[in-house]
Amino acid sequence: MSQDTQVSFEAVGDSESGDGGVEHGALLSRLCEAIFEEDGDQLASVKDDVIEVAGAEVLIDAVAVSANFYMMTRIADSTGTPLDAGTVEPSAEIRELVGVNTFTSRREAQV
Amino acid sequence: MAAYSTELPIRADLDEAHAEIAARWATTGSWWSGVERLAIVEEVRRARDSAELAPWEAPSQIEGLVSSDHVLPEAAVDAIWRITSHPGTLTAEWHASILGSGIHPEAYVELVAVVAQANAVDRFADALNLDRVELPTPSASEPPKISETPLQVTSHWVPTAKIKGPNVLKALSAVPFENESLSLLSSAQYVRFGDLLSDLVSDQNSLSRMQVEVIAARTSKLNECFY
Repeated sequence: MSQDTQVSFEAVGDSESGDGGVEHGALLSRLCEAIFEEDGDQLASVKDDVIEVAGAEVLIDAVAVSANFYMMTRIADSTGTPLDAGTVEPSAEIRELVGVNTFTSRREAQV
Repeated sequence: MAAYSTELPIRADLDEAHAEIAARWATTGSWWSGVERLAIVEEVRRARDSAELAPWEAPSQIEGLVSSDHVLPEAAVDAIWRITSHPGTLTAEWHASILGSGIHPEAYVELVAVVAQANAVDRFADALNLDRVELPTPSASEPPKISETPLQVTSHWVPTAKIKGPNVLKALSAVPFENESLSLLSSAQYVRFGDLLSDLVSDQNSLSRMQVEVIAARTSKLNECFY
């Protein structure tokens, strides 16, 4: 994949908004939602879809990445980790687009 | 020894990382013993498997949830459940209340690390309908309970060491052993730390870096993590 690839933030916002230029973006977003919801039927259905269109290796690696961010978010939120200097301004538009400014953790962040 | 017994094609490095993390949980830490560290993991599992409490409900205040002879202090159990179930609701005031209950600031950092790792490892297993990793026999030695490195409270709620890198990688720097565990797990499940900013064409696994970042960002948003 070249670094010229055009991507957008649809798949980050929710799984209904498209792939955002990322292969299987919406499906992977749907997988994240099913893992978060912990609904067995919903998760089983999405996992079948991922295996069918992308394969079992992709399913496992995708679950691993998602699970990793149950760790990273807990570390950041439990330690009062502030945004990094130099990222506050450049990320302002993205934060608005993705819709994270209403989170409780936003109020606690030293922005 | 493999962490998982399954026909699913789990990468060997990922399986080995989870087995290694379980072994590290059972090791004597800087502030908690091996027995206590495994009790932390078991509390994460109890918090996940029980009916979810509201953010303002502490398990220690609910009759029958925390036994009087529990190996961990009540404040530690309360923190484990809250971090596991409602990380997006944590505040500086809440953190201060946990320390005010007698948890040492660096012991808190070690607890956060183990809780966070257990959430990652168990959620991987649960999502794939695998048995959760087996917990090893704990080390018998006592933790030294001394700071390993000069620390200051500057940018985070918790004390941190002077190290280079993104703020989230500084968060556990008060307990270097846990930063090593974070690197071990994150390198197997996400991206090798050395490649975080440079590698956009990783062949580490079956996903493109763009797919990895969509999953990372979507999961972080679902967890209402501003960082």
